[in-house]
Amino acid sequence: MRACILHRDDVLKIVDLLRQQGYEVVAPFFGRGRDTRFDNVTDENRGQIQIHLPNPYHPPKRFVMLQIERLFNIQQNNGQIQIEPTYREPKRAIFGIRSCDIAGIWHLDRFFLGREFRDIYYEKRRKNLFLVNVVCTDPERDIGEECFCVCADTGPAARDHFDLQLMDLGDGEFMVVAGTPAGEAMFTDPIFRKGTDAHIAKRRAVLDVARKSFKPSTTSWFSAAVRYVSQGKVAEKTWEEIGNRCLECGGCSYVCPACTCFTVSDRRVGPDEVERVRMWDACALGGFTRMAGGHNPRKAVHDRRNRRFFRKLSHYFIQRELSMACVGCGRCAAVCHGDIGMPSVVEMIRRAAAETEKT
Amino acid sequence: MNPAATENAYLPKIAVLDRVVDEIAEVKTFYWRFEDPAEQAAFKKFRPGQFAQVSLFGTGEFPASLPPSPTEAETFFTIRTVGSCTAALHALKPGDKFAVRGPYGNGFPMEDYYGKDLVFVAGGIGLIPLRSCIIYALAHRDKYKKIQIYYGAKSPKDLMYLQNLHEWEKGAGVEFNLTVDRADATWKGHVGVVGSLFKKPGVQVPVENTVAFVCGPPVMFRFVIKDLQALGFHDGQIVSTLERYMKCGVGKCGHCCIGVAYVCVDGPVFTYEQIQKLGEDI
Repeated sequence: MRACILHRDDVLKIVDLLRQQGYEVVAPFFGRGRDTRFDNVTDENRGQIQIHLPNPYHPPKRFVMLQIERLFNIQQNNGQIQIEPTYREPKRAIFGIRSCDIAGIWHLDRFFLGREFRDIYYEKRRKNLFLVNVVCTDPERDIGEECFCVCADTGPAARDHFDLQLMDLGDGEFMVVAGTPAGEAMFTDPIFRKGTDAHIAKRRAVLDVARKSFKPSTTSWFSAAVRYVSQGKVAEKTWEEIGNRCLECGGCSYVCPACTCFTVSDRRVGPDEVERVRMWDACALGGFTRMAGGHNPRKAVHDRRNRRFFRKLSHYFIQRELSMACVGCGRCAAVCHGDIGMPSVVEMIRRAAAETEKT
Repeated sequence: MNPAATENAYLPKIAVLDRVVDEIAEVKTFYWRFEDPAEQAAFKKFRPGQFAQVSLFGTGEFPASLPPSPTEAETFFTIRTVGSCTAALHALKPGDKFAVRGPYGNGFPMEDYYGKDLVFVAGGIGLIPLRSCIIYALAHRDKYKKIQIYYGAKSPKDLMYLQNLHEWEKGAGVEFNLTVDRADATWKGHVGVVGSLFKKPGVQVPVENTVAFVCGPPVMFRFVIKDLQALGFHDGQIVSTLERYMKCGVGKCGHCCIGVAYVCVDGPVFTYEQIQKLGEDI
């Protein structure tokens, strides 16, 4: 049985079941202001977990790709060196992860576990990760101004890559879909009931309404932008305009569920002890390509903007990873002070193309 | 399954510095070996043009070309002090330990060049990565036709690998041409940029069925490419190795990307034809 029905009052029992199975569970909460955030679930805060709320800016990516991660502990004594890899691989569940962020983690899987070299730190954590996806169905609370998963084809309901998927059918019932054997194993608990054809019809109707609740977005031009970027048809002038609006804060990468770049640094933690750590880095930042001695092959800000969008949108990289490095979450648009998040850049490319074709 | 799949790709292995040789100002050659002989044997299967990541714990890690040929007994790096990591390496003394991982990158496809003429054009410390191919080609002398080396440095004081230069000059199956941009009182050889050697009397650069290896500073690179194109080389016959800052060496950190390529795994060796299709300036 791949799908079941769950009463609204029992939804958080999934969190309890996971905790009983030894998972550290993270879930979405309201912050102190208007913010929302993923946080560890405790006995105290368990009742405050939110099902419908704006997707937190700080993506749950950080639970698989740690913002700062120790790679090695190195002891240097009397001329001897000992290097100890340090793995952090808790058994963890993310409850309430949205479909865009599911696509983000899938992209990270393709990137860190694909090709010749695998990232063992990522792999160890990923193996212990259980994902409970919540479909965005509430136009007021779930679907944001900048969301464009319908254009990026990642939502509102993820098609795959979750363990369980919850969808609010609106009348006190949720449909639960299992995406993996681990997810399906949960269905042995009596809170899960068998669904009927009426539930399936209801699911379809709810999803239909959700899809139509997105803002008629300029990112409907998304796939054309992909072609323009891939074929180098975006004029240098357009990149300069985009670059001129970049404040080089790196916020877009910070909130991006699909950005993968990192830097590595050694830090001394004792007289004979050093840690090698890695942390998120961003191609938006000027020092990203700077070499020893000061030479920087990619200096101009618009080159770096071009780089970011090429890396995310070009056919070449989509084929290389069989996954696009933009999932349509809209966070970059929400945080960018210069309004050059993905939706706005797609619009700038569209307008520039329209002008070129006029002349 | 590829052994790299189950290993920690970021884990460097302990190396011991054996001895240090001065090359030119700010450039030294560091002879080293892995503490574990099994690591040393595995590493020795590298190809010319590959590189390694060198760790100086507490300072960091940097990518370094491999100047030795796999046909040689010893492993070494030739390093100029430019930043904190290279300075930390320069501060080491024989017997000191550091760490190395690799080899990484594609390397030059030396087997694909069997039966061809090889033309090596190096400027300054661009000889470091090309040294590996030259020694390799000379060790497999019967596999290649003509082997020509054109090497230029700023001044006689900037010539590297003097012992190798003397061997090549003696002409064991190799046509060797040397130049300096600025001569001093002792210099009796050719003066001019490295490309000027192509027009030196008696020099005949083969073009048909030839591969040209070019490595050197950006200005030298641009001019030599033009000179070679003028001689009739097409862009697919010209190979070079690119440099970028790298944090991982295994295609993950993102720092070395140029257009469509991750220099660490797709390169560092590219033909000039490929370089032009990267979609970003080198």
